[in-house]
Amino acid sequence: MNALTPQGLNLDACAAEPIRIPGGVQPHGALAVIGDRGEILQASTNLSAFLGLPARPSSLAAIDPGGDLAGELLAWLAGDEAIFLRTVGLAGVAWQVSAHRGAQGAIVEFEAPPASEGETLEALYPRLRRFVTATEDAREVRAIAQAAVREVRALTGFNRVMLYSFDPEGVGTVVAEDGDGVLPSYLDLRFPASDIPAQARELYRLNRLRLIPDANYTPSPIEPALSPIDGRPLDLSDAALRSVSPIHLQYMRNMGTLSSMSISILVDGALWGLISGHSAQPHLVNPQVRTACDFLGQIVSLQIAARVRAQLAADHVAAKRTETALLSRLAPAQDFQTGLVQNPDLWLDLVHAQGAALVVAGVVSVVGQTPTVPEIELLTGWLKARSETVLATDSLASLWPPAEVFAPDASGVLAISISQLHPDYILWFRPEVVRTVTWSGDPTKPVTETGVLHPRKSFEAWKEQVRLRSLPWTEIETETAGEFRSAIQNFVLRRAEERAELTAELERSNKELEAFSYSISHDLRAPFRHIVGYAELLKTKEAALDDKSRHYIQTIVDAALTAGRLVDDLLAFSQLGRSQVTRAPVDMRKLADETRRALETATEGRSVRWEIGDLPAAFGDAGLLRQVMMNLVDNALKYTRPREEAVITIAGEDRGDMTAYWVRDNGVGFDMAYVGKLFGVFQRLHRIEDFEGTGIGLALSKRIIDRHHGTIEAYGKLGQGATLLFTLPKAPSKDDEGH
Amino acid sequence: MADLRPILLVEDNPRDLELTLAALAKCQLANEIITTRDGAEALDYVYARGDHAGRPAGDPAVILLDLKLPKIDGLEVLEKLKGDSNFRQIPVVMLTSSREERDLVQSYEQGVNAFVVKPVDFNAFFEAIESLGMFWAILNEPPPRSGPADGR
Repeated sequence: MNALTPQGLNLDACAAEPIRIPGGVQPHGALAVIGDRGEILQASTNLSAFLGLPARPSSLAAIDPGGDLAGELLAWLAGDEAIFLRTVGLAGVAWQVSAHRGAQGAIVEFEAPPASEGETLEALYPRLRRFVTATEDAREVRAIAQAAVREVRALTGFNRVMLYSFDPEGVGTVVAEDGDGVLPSYLDLRFPASDIPAQARELYRLNRLRLIPDANYTPSPIEPALSPIDGRPLDLSDAALRSVSPIHLQYMRNMGTLSSMSISILVDGALWGLISGHSAQPHLVNPQVRTACDFLGQIVSLQIAARVRAQLAADHVAAKRTETALLSRLAPAQDFQTGLVQNPDLWLDLVHAQGAALVVAGVVSVVGQTPTVPEIELLTGWLKARSETVLATDSLASLWPPAEVFAPDASGVLAISISQLHPDYILWFRPEVVRTVTWSGDPTKPVTETGVLHPRKSFEAWKEQVRLRSLPWTEIETETAGEFRSAIQNFVLRRAEERAELTAELERSNKELEAFSYSISHDLRAPFRHIVGYAELLKTKEAALDDKSRHYIQTIVDAALTAGRLVDDLLAFSQLGRSQVTRAPVDMRKLADETRRALETATEGRSVRWEIGDLPAAFGDAGLLRQVMMNLVDNALKYTRPREEAVITIAGEDRGDMTAYWVRDNGVGFDMAYVGKLFGVFQRLHRIEDFEGTGIGLALSKRIIDRHHGTIEAYGKLGQGATLLFTLPKAPSKDDEGH
Repeated sequence: MADLRPILLVEDNPRDLELTLAALAKCQLANEIITTRDGAEALDYVYARGDHAGRPAGDPAVILLDLKLPKIDGLEVLEKLKGDSNFRQIPVVMLTSSREERDLVQSYEQGVNAFVVKPVDFNAFFEAIESLGMFWAILNEPPPRSGPADGR
């Protein structure tokens, strides 16, 4: 990094900087790298001057002639303690000495003693203990943060201390601040992830506390620049005195802060946030106070981790509770769609969304703040192509550019597919985050400073980063959506099972009913047979019976015969429900002729004119169709009995995908008002003494035609005859081959 | 004379039995009518065992067999007889209560010689019995026995 000008500053350059090997230290201390025997391998050029030595020392012994330093450091180096921390008196000054091991030797840092007794760790201990007690009682992260910034400012005396938290994207938000008014308040401001580059973030994770007492310092270079151990620049990652990036120093100057200190807050090993102190003027924080601040930082880390975990658990419970509440509302609803739409608040609360939509069978229902229905339809088309069960994004437009149009309403989308067969979805929406932010200052105030980097600039940069972005969906929210998806699928499945069960139940009871009616009619037959048989026997035996007695016996026989026929018809009717319909081509002309011959004997003595036309071949069950023809012609003959000449017409025609047949007579006819009753079981339109019959013939015919997937209709007029017409579907097309 | 061999009627319902006997009487057949009331007894008669151990020798001219019988039903009797080479030749007329029952028997393909669906109309029943009884009892020569089954 050279030739730095304010114009040359940019964030990308910052991200490329070698911050672990700056080649120098900040001059508020001095640094030496020692070998196994205490020899000095490398040192900051200010070492001798800082410690008041006459010349650059070659070994620890030369720094503290006759003292304990060399012995203690070498003993530490041989042991396994990570950090060496001592107050060492050299020439009457109580130097703060710390050391840590590195691949290039042990790095020993020297700093000046505390200015007063009040700044020693011993003196600070009671404060820290009070702080621990106070944070334990704090319920919320914000309260802990507020206590922390107050305490750090009291310990360090910075003009302003802030606590940032980072979201998963690295965006920083100032959640707590304590200041004396010298520096402006940044409470609630957002900073883009690029303000703290990734490699700095990683360093902050490893090295919990950093101090820059004076942004205008001149670094003290390391000599020699390359390590005699491995020939590379000295790794200062863990050194407290590590010189920082000139870009960062420029940034500090731009911000009007000449000194700064930051303490990392780690939650589960990740950088959760920073406590950051600034002063307008140079400000030194001695190692003992820094140790106290480091300790405080760790307390805050633990407390926040506990709160974060508790919050996570609470969020889990809350999500479960909302899900249970919503599901319990869905259960009694006729379907889950209705249940959702009728409970918009629970539906939205489930994943803390501002809008939601349901897409089932192409029908879109929406609640809250959502894109338009056509936009949602386009979105589901895109979702369908991705075929994911759960999709959660806080920036739909970055995955699917057309979404930019409705980004203000729905930058964030959480979608679950709820059917394996159909493109059915439940969607939740979140608006663009810029609209949801609160801040105390006015971040849109124009930039007047000449500096390039500035918090206002940062806000602009942040706004750019979060453009087309919503608040991210948390892991719990995504999980909840996934669980809800299973619940909905179970719900749909259960409804389907219930329906299937009902259908099976119906089929079973239908079968039972048929078996029942069969066995009843079967058993009913025997008694009627016996009545007729014995009555006949009686009639034969008693030749001397008078006419009246004969009439009585004949009535018994007739009644039993009628009842018997009724039972026979019922049997045939119930049998039809159970028997197979075997379809094949049927010569209907032949069938009509046979019917005529079969019934002609019954018309002896009557004048009947038969008009049998050309009948197209049918496709059906020959036996059943014969029964239909027989019933219809029998009816026609029956109802033409009062006519001097009965005219029975049997005709048919091809109607494309079906064939039609009709039987017409010139009989007594019927009133079309009762046509609906004609095909019902036991429905009669005439008095039994006028026209006999059980009233089952047409019902049976209709059932046969129904089982052929055909239709049957009746047309008539009182006194002017009737026409019974039925149609039958033709054979499937493969049977038509060869035509 | 073949026509003097008895007709075996198997019927459990007393009224049907009486009516069938009346119909047979009307036909004025010379054959003796043997009645049995269930399938087991019918088989006992054919095999000349149990209560019928001492019956006169000779197979029935025809068996009029009801389908529904206590103990051993008509189908089982039929199966037993048609599976026995000694009695396979005896003509069997099944008396059934419905067309459905007739279909059922046919589906077993047991070699039934004829069916009578008992009609409600007594006269029709009489005619059916008359034609069948006459045909099988009088007109039919008994088929020659296969094998030396006469050695009892």
